[in-house]
Amino acid sequence: MYTNFGTVFIFVIIGIILVAFPLLLQRILAPSRKTPDKLTTYECGEDAVGGAWIQFNIRFYVVALIFIIFDVEVILLFPWAVVYKELGLFAFVEMMIFLAILSVGLIYIWRKGDLDWVKYSVPYGRGRYKKLKIVPKQVPAVVAEIGDRGSTIVDVTTS
Amino acid sequence: MNNFQSLRLFIPELIILSTILVAIIADLFYSKEKSYKVGYWVLTGLLLAMVVLWLTDKTEVTTLFLNSIALDPFSRIFKFIFILATLFVIIMSMRASELQKVRTGEYFVLLAVVVLGMFLMASSIDLIMVYISIEVVSIASFILAGYLKTEVRSNEASLKYVIYGAFSSGIMLYGLSLLFGLTGTTKLFEISEAIARLNGEGNLTLIIATIFIMAGFGYKISAVPFHFWTPDVYEGAPTPITAYLSVAPKAAGFALLIRFFNSLFGTGAVFEPGTWQSLEGIPWQQVIAVVAAITMALGNLVAIQQSNIKRLLAYSSIAHAGYILMGIPVLSQDGIHAMIFYIIVYLFMQLGAFFVAILISNKFGTEEIAKYSGIGFKSPLLGVLMALFMFSLTGIPPTAGFIGKFYLFAALINGGSQFYWLAIWGVLNSVVSLYYYMRIVKVMFFEGQSELELYLPSAVPTTLLMVFGIPTLLFGVYWSPIADWVQNSLIFFVVRM
Repeated sequence: MYTNFGTVFIFVIIGIILVAFPLLLQRILAPSRKTPDKLTTYECGEDAVGGAWIQFNIRFYVVALIFIIFDVEVILLFPWAVVYKELGLFAFVEMMIFLAILSVGLIYIWRKGDLDWVKYSVPYGRGRYKKLKIVPKQVPAVVAEIGDRGSTIVDVTTS
Repeated sequence: MNNFQSLRLFIPELIILSTILVAIIADLFYSKEKSYKVGYWVLTGLLLAMVVLWLTDKTEVTTLFLNSIALDPFSRIFKFIFILATLFVIIMSMRASELQKVRTGEYFVLLAVVVLGMFLMASSIDLIMVYISIEVVSIASFILAGYLKTEVRSNEASLKYVIYGAFSSGIMLYGLSLLFGLTGTTKLFEISEAIARLNGEGNLTLIIATIFIMAGFGYKISAVPFHFWTPDVYEGAPTPITAYLSVAPKAAGFALLIRFFNSLFGTGAVFEPGTWQSLEGIPWQQVIAVVAAITMALGNLVAIQQSNIKRLLAYSSIAHAGYILMGIPVLSQDGIHAMIFYIIVYLFMQLGAFFVAILISNKFGTEEIAKYSGIGFKSPLLGVLMALFMFSLTGIPPTAGFIGKFYLFAALINGGSQFYWLAIWGVLNSVVSLYYYMRIVKVMFFEGQSELELYLPSAVPTTLLMVFGIPTLLFGVYWSPIADWVQNSLIFFVVRM
């Protein structure tokens, strides 16, 4: 049974060859005229400025987490929608329960103010964001780059 | 049973799940100062789940959700252990001063999530369920360990826990995938049949897979050499969480370990001598015996040098994992019986010791053992109970710890002469542990000035102390109800006879 892994091994070897051979071929055949522009790191068309080890705004991570939750939800919804007619009412109830559980998560992040990027008018001005205050635009270059205008919010509990 | 029919037998878990959802919503409507009230919601939900669990059929043996979860007396007794430990820890958390400063709504919700994960851990019979349940417990524990966001120690604990957890569960996942590749199924009992059909073919792969999976389990029960995270995490985490991690997820790890190896390499029923024959080439019993021996020796020897009570109890919990692991190598019903009995006893004495440490830290503001001097006179109740828990952890009669250790050693001796050395080693280790446990008692009663101050904790902590203290004494003289209960719970879900 486990000898079937031999097939996988051969598959891996062929896979490596298929990548390595064209690369080798173009290294031999293609002309190579290097200019500074060609040698820069590709960064989606942007100028590559500075190192990669800059401080990111922590809110990016929150947004990413929220995205993952609803991304997974959609992934589950597609196959469910495809076979929906055969499964009938039971599947409908099951999916509604799943969505209800997820919407508890949505209510949670909403109430905690994590859906607002700029937190001027947090209705939830208590608790976690109680100590937020608005300060004149100054230091963090990163925050400025993000495209925030005029002023920036600094969490005094951490800074 | 299919999914819909299973729901009827899944009610305790469903109650916990609804508790989690309701408590999350409830937390949103409390201010920071009132957020501890979420604890009462969770407490009520868990109590309800416990009552329902109590009312379920004690002898029901079946599988739920298309053979991914087993329902049997073995998982039932562990569910009681988990829920009891969590109830105690919730009350402890409401009393811990370090948690008064932070918003604790999510804290209690996460505790309920851990309970749900542990319920699944004790009953999963499918590789995917095994992995998912371990991760549910781990991820919630990571957050709980780092719950004091403003304290660097707590951050460090959480980060170390995450890194170790990710690494070991990655290794375990690789082992599980090898097992799946070898047998072509994820159901434990089908894997067991497939391994028997292999007839020694692919034995090397099987051994590697087993070792890798052991890494995951070893991490959960903090057995050497997968114990490195334990002291730092235990020291940095909030003290109630430390108490919790050293009892409940560890018990869940043991439940999973027993069930996994029992249904994979045993006959499926409770261990019988001569099982694990499908794994040739390595003396598995001896390997686990050596792991147990090293675990308890390391835990005890390093605990001697500790000056912080949390670190000391952390290393002592490593040692206790070693003691409990002694029940596996003999591969007998006695061994499993002794393990479960010890886990129950350990729950009371370990949580009790931690609760005394919390109350001392609340009142006297110290976690250093050297500063415990004179506490035996300033607060006789705390002093006497701490001494009781220390006696019990050492295993001195007439405490419950003695009976627990007695069962373990008896199982070893009855298992034949090949493990006499392990029993002797265990007794020697208990002697070593006597030194550091008694040092605490000595500092409390024989050092510092002994003027009487008479600090008495208020009603709720005193009651909880009694809830820990009385069983610790009572099970030392009258333990047969517990022993019988454990005996009746040694029924596993079995397909192949």
